[in-house]
Amino acid sequence: MLKFILRRFGSSFLVLLGASLLLYVLTINSGDPLKDLRESNADNREYLIEQRIDFMGLDQPWYARYWDWLTGVGKCVIGQCDLGTNRSGQQVIDLLGLAAASTLRLVVLATVIAMVFGVLIGILTAIRQYSGIDYVVTFLTFMFFSLPVFWAAVLLKEYLAIGFNDWLASPDPGFSWPTIIVVGLVLGLALQAVLAGNARRRLFTFLGAFVFTCAALPYMDWLNFARYPQLGPVVITLVGVAAAVGATVLGAGLKNRRVLYAGLITAVLGLVAYYATYGLLWDPNWLIILILAVVAIGVAIAIGRLMGGYSKGAATLVSVFTAVVMGGLIIVEHLFRSWPSYLEIVGRPIATIGSETPNFTGTFWEDFLDKGTQLLLPTILLALISLASYSRYTRASMLEVSQQDYIRTARAKGLNERQVILKHAFRNSLIPITTIMAFDFAGLIGGAVITEQVFGWKGMGELFRTGLEQVDPAPVMAFFLVTGTAAVLFNLLADILYAVLDPRIRV
Amino acid sequence: MSNEDGTPRNKPEYTPEENVRNGTGPSQTAVDMANLAEVEDAKLRQQTGKSYSQGQLVRRRFRNHKAAMISAVFLALIFILAFTSIGYAGIPGWWDKDYAAAGAVVNGGNPTLSLVPQWLGGQGIQWGEHPFGQDSTGKDYFALTMRGTQQSLIIALVVGIVSTVIGSVVGSLAGYFRGWIDAVLMRATDLVIVIPLLVLAAVLGQMSSGLGAGILPLALVLGLVTWTSLARLVRGEVLSLREKEFVAAAVAMGAKPGRVILRHLLPNTVGVIVVNATFAIAAAILLETSLSFLGFGVQPPDSSLGLLISQYQNAFTTRPWLFWWPGMFILAIALSVNFIGDGLRDAFDPRQGSRGKKRGIFGFSGRDKALNKTTGSTAGPGGKDVPGQPINGSGLGGLLGGSGIGNP
Amino acid sequence: MSIFGRKKNHNPDEGRSETGTPGTAGAAGSSKAGRPASGTSPATGSLGLVQRHPDRDGRPILSFQDVSVTFNTEFGDVNAVKGVSFDIKPGEVVALVGESGSGKSVTSSTAMGLLPANASVTGTVMLGDREVTALDANGLRKIRGRHAAMVFQEPMTALNPVLTVGDQLTESLNVHGIAYGTEADRRAVELLEMVGIPDAQHRLKQYPHQFSGGQRQRIVIAMAISCSPEVIIADEPTTALDVTVQAEILELLRSLKDQLNTGILLITHNMGVVADMADRVCVMLRGELVESGEVHQVMQNPQHPYTERLLGSVPRLGAELTVSEPDTVTASQTTAVYAIEAQGLCIEYDHRGKKNRVVHDIDFTVAPGEILGLVGESGSGKSTIAKSVLGLLPVASGSLKIHGSDLTRLAGKEARALRKRIGVVFQDPAASLDPRFPIGDVITEPMVIHNVGNRQTRMERAYELLDAVKLPRSVVNRFPHELSGGQRQRISIARALTLDPEVLIADEPTSALDVSVQAAVLDMFAELQSRYEFACLFVSHDLAVVDMLAHRVLVLKDGRQVEQGPTQEVLHHPTQEYTKRLLSAAPVPDPDEQLTKRTERRQLLESLGERPY
Repeated sequence: MLKFILRRFGSSFLVLLGASLLLYVLTINSGDPLKDLRESNADNREYLIEQRIDFMGLDQPWYARYWDWLTGVGKCVIGQCDLGTNRSGQQVIDLLGLAAASTLRLVVLATVIAMVFGVLIGILTAIRQYSGIDYVVTFLTFMFFSLPVFWAAVLLKEYLAIGFNDWLASPDPGFSWPTIIVVGLVLGLALQAVLAGNARRRLFTFLGAFVFTCAALPYMDWLNFARYPQLGPVVITLVGVAAAVGATVLGAGLKNRRVLYAGLITAVLGLVAYYATYGLLWDPNWLIILILAVVAIGVAIAIGRLMGGYSKGAATLVSVFTAVVMGGLIIVEHLFRSWPSYLEIVGRPIATIGSETPNFTGTFWEDFLDKGTQLLLPTILLALISLASYSRYTRASMLEVSQQDYIRTARAKGLNERQVILKHAFRNSLIPITTIMAFDFAGLIGGAVITEQVFGWKGMGELFRTGLEQVDPAPVMAFFLVTGTAAVLFNLLADILYAVLDPRIRV
Repeated sequence: MSNEDGTPRNKPEYTPEENVRNGTGPSQTAVDMANLAEVEDAKLRQQTGKSYSQGQLVRRRFRNHKAAMISAVFLALIFILAFTSIGYAGIPGWWDKDYAAAGAVVNGGNPTLSLVPQWLGGQGIQWGEHPFGQDSTGKDYFALTMRGTQQSLIIALVVGIVSTVIGSVVGSLAGYFRGWIDAVLMRATDLVIVIPLLVLAAVLGQMSSGLGAGILPLALVLGLVTWTSLARLVRGEVLSLREKEFVAAAVAMGAKPGRVILRHLLPNTVGVIVVNATFAIAAAILLETSLSFLGFGVQPPDSSLGLLISQYQNAFTTRPWLFWWPGMFILAIALSVNFIGDGLRDAFDPRQGSRGKKRGIFGFSGRDKALNKTTGSTAGPGGKDVPGQPINGSGLGGLLGGSGIGNP
Repeated sequence: MSIFGRKKNHNPDEGRSETGTPGTAGAAGSSKAGRPASGTSPATGSLGLVQRHPDRDGRPILSFQDVSVTFNTEFGDVNAVKGVSFDIKPGEVVALVGESGSGKSVTSSTAMGLLPANASVTGTVMLGDREVTALDANGLRKIRGRHAAMVFQEPMTALNPVLTVGDQLTESLNVHGIAYGTEADRRAVELLEMVGIPDAQHRLKQYPHQFSGGQRQRIVIAMAISCSPEVIIADEPTTALDVTVQAEILELLRSLKDQLNTGILLITHNMGVVADMADRVCVMLRGELVESGEVHQVMQNPQHPYTERLLGSVPRLGAELTVSEPDTVTASQTTAVYAIEAQGLCIEYDHRGKKNRVVHDIDFTVAPGEILGLVGESGSGKSTIAKSVLGLLPVASGSLKIHGSDLTRLAGKEARALRKRIGVVFQDPAASLDPRFPIGDVITEPMVIHNVGNRQTRMERAYELLDAVKLPRSVVNRFPHELSGGQRQRISIARALTLDPEVLIADEPTSALDVSVQAAVLDMFAELQSRYEFACLFVSHDLAVVDMLAHRVLVLKDGRQVEQGPTQEVLHHPTQEYTKRLLSAAPVPDPDEQLTKRTERRQLLESLGERPY
């Protein structure tokens, strides 16, 4: 196994080397790097041309320039990266650092969101194959496949960002009754389609969702939620308990009291932690958050193991899940707390341009909010598109697995649908999905170019685009270095995950 | 594919297709024909109906796929509209305005197209002088959009051909010969794959735009970078096909590699090839618009749908039609092609298609439903019209191609 | 403690005496939870879960009353089962017999509600005192595994590959609330020991792919009996297994049935298995029950002509078909006269750079006009040898000559010329014809490849061959998917004979076919052989088929030669222990004869110091 992975690693490395040569040659031949200066009327034209030739090493043959670049990259092994200079003489490694940070933030977040929701939607549509929701999701998937990203981005900016900001800036941001009714109807229809069941159950689901919306939205208005949002201990407790119960239903079945109690205890501890850490989280830093997260998960694991009895595994999973939900709720509560003061600073929160508000200073949470609102639109866009394909993969894989004999065996044992789907089908369908997702990630970094362009991010896409426009190989190759390395790493990850998931490879 | 042969080996119990086609009435008690082999032969002798080849069966299934058929008709209409309206390559069309000719801006460049009849308070159904409006220099936006649509369709055609040819050749050679040929070809494929598609296309697009010979070089270039997923899929398919006994039989008979590949392997991978070519086409259309949007594709004064959006993205609030029309056309073309691909996939691999064979996902859960509706089915065998995704290698691959290329 | 914890206890009487609990069948009808009133609660941890069921005073435990199943398909409604009625009593084995499409599996699936969604069922299926056909999804779930369990055909795919065997075994115990945690693990070990898997404690943590096919089927059986069901439905439980493993699995099922007094519904197409296991037989033909009765009566004195034909089609040892006499090759003649000659033949597969030798040092010869039967179980290398003779696999060492020349060492033209003289028939009728070629093109393909004749002479040859394989000439324009398996196999034979080969390689040509179709194809094969007098390498796992056709037999095991000689000697007076085992494991379609055979097999195994299962 290790030998196999090493061999794969070696061959990937060679491929990467070949690809870098190919891209280098193509880039330097894609145009004339001195074009703008040749057409310029500046007095110091000759000097500028001299200078650029010097920066770009144009006096040397192409293979020498490539060799220079390659040896520079080679030095990364000893910690002295030299990715060359762009045509203005700036060190590309410095530019890359900033660019990669903002791009990775965008891509990682979008991918994680897309994976989670894509897989969930995929499972749902597979279980409800040929139902209304399956057809709707199928159609939407095809829409997203066929949607030009840049076009959709403009629509998002216009309707989501500008629309929301206008609404928030209006003197009385509230929901009109037509809005409430439409939202209620849509929510009700969606929920009954998801939960399915017989006609009566569907009707109750629909009515429940509708009535809830009609009550909740005006209540939120009354609270002035848009400007002064809050959850409060009651909502936190309710959501936490719901998470514990829901996870138990899916993970072990409500009959398994030990698992349920483990989840509930974690939820209660979460509420205690909310009060206990309130002061600590007033203006924290990342280290504190990280430590608290580790502690929370550690405690959750302990609870799961202590309470679990014969179903330790399930209890631990449920407990950890509940802890994560509670942690998320606590963070949301603190963010909500900081929202009014953040609004005072920026006014129109959802940004359409750039990756952060220039010269922004504020508390940890305000800074968090600033980065978050800047990330919102591009993340939604990238996530929606990847989500479409992930949900397709998952659906396909689930359907494939559901035809297998061992699913029939599981059913013949008397397992219920939950057990058949989660324990038998999903575990198997994860194998191909994980591999595909790992491969996709590297491609997404490449694909973020357009998104960054539309939203005016100074990321790697920008680096690449200007580099290519100016026939300047160093930034282009820096971009490739990141995506190429990511591709190799994720190939490796895919191999490892494959072995982890599939015992036929492992043992 | 094996299921099309009618006798799945693990489930020999139930082959309704065969029974029905061969016309054995369900109630036929065959005491006198107790020997299965004789019964089969008798059936074969009686059989006088038309014989359907694989291709004919596929076409029939495709025609029954409503979403795909609607998409095909729709795409054909767009094609006709785009090429007859402003003409192509010097041949004039029925639309009198030129996409490159600037003019006076009339009525703020608002579109004159109206679809709301007068009795509904609109301006009546009319085409008008500038149906899609005018841009800031007074160019007719309908002509511009049609020009962009032409470009997209040409791209679709050329990319479809180029990437399919390269992909099938590379894939089938690698899969058939294996060994070092396979290793070399697949490493070459990896080489192209490891560079993000948009990046490679942008660099090549930049090069080709220097040639200045219109859209064709760009289309060729896009074809040169989009064949990789097809090559991998064809290779996979060929690898599994060559283990099939009919290929072994052909080799054992003494058939040369060329014959085995051309007569046995490629015809049997045509499903994978056609389906994935379709998805690659949809992806390439989007890729071209993305490149033009970034400035590495079609260059002004020529026009393309992506370029139009790029030029007018900031005009959204003031003159939204400049933004909506090209976007809608891209969406319409790509969506149609994707749906056609989906229909083709169902047609080539009916195993999991949405029609008829409602196996009840997750097997058996639908028993109650089946009990309730017992006999007297009302819906008819046609079933639902919205495509279900067939599940197989090609299915996943199609999506791979689709997403990987098209939606960076 | 459970009496079954001790492996060697095969005494059914002792088992009966210890069934203290009042049984599950009677009480379960009313018990909503599907859990018997008799306590085997997990808390007490009492064993004795796998318990003996009462006799129900002659009332059936599983009863089908006028069951019909209709599938709603793309091409209209298909009536797969038409009003079938029969009963199974506790401790009784009822065999449901029929060929492809007879509806036997569909019938059995109704007993657990395991039919696809497009099926509609009429009639009643009673399991104990419960009406299965009236249960909702929840009710069905409670009987599945608990009161009726299933053993499937394919042990390779019936187990979930990513879960440990222990996990899958304890699962049904958990689901039906019988045992949890370490208690469930303990029972799982007990179950594995019951079905004869040694070192159960350790193997519980292994994954299915770490077990052999036969062992996996044992695990599936262990899963089936884990909740002590009253009925086991065994759907072709041994079809995917080798004969020796089949004999073991049947012994196991029989011993479990005797211990537990379980009713078994055995679905099979193999008349030998029926004779071996069944108490009563139901014969199905296209969805109808044409004959049913006590096993001796049905098998020795069948009433329905279909049953009669079915039994008549089963190949038996000792039966013989007329084939041509081989040319004698005497020592004085040169070796070139042999059609095929292998000496010290070794064949290797290349697996990721590692050589894996699968055939070791085999010698054989096939004289012109002679049929050599290559016999062995899966993994014996018999198909590998066939592929190597066809030049599809290289010879690692030794020599393999066809008409005196070595195919793998010949280049281009000469190799093609030699290939012209070899015909081939493969096993899988679904895969051996290119689905895109019309039948005419399939048959004439060898002529096209070798540039023989023009269009017209090729068509003439195709017609001639179609006549020879007794198919209508009109079939030339049809496509393979329009033909049945047997017809396709005949087309395969016709194609193999197109160029009048001197050597024919037949790799399990009839093993994927139904018995009556197999009989027809074998008859035809023999007839064609006596007409065209080709030499033939006939690969088969079925000793009876080889006995009918072959002049000489080569028995293989794990890639090595076991025994070789004239058919009469090897298959009727074997000298090697392995051949004896093979012969004793193959069931015959006569209950009395099979009983004798079974006893003989037990004696043979006992003399070797082994258990029968």
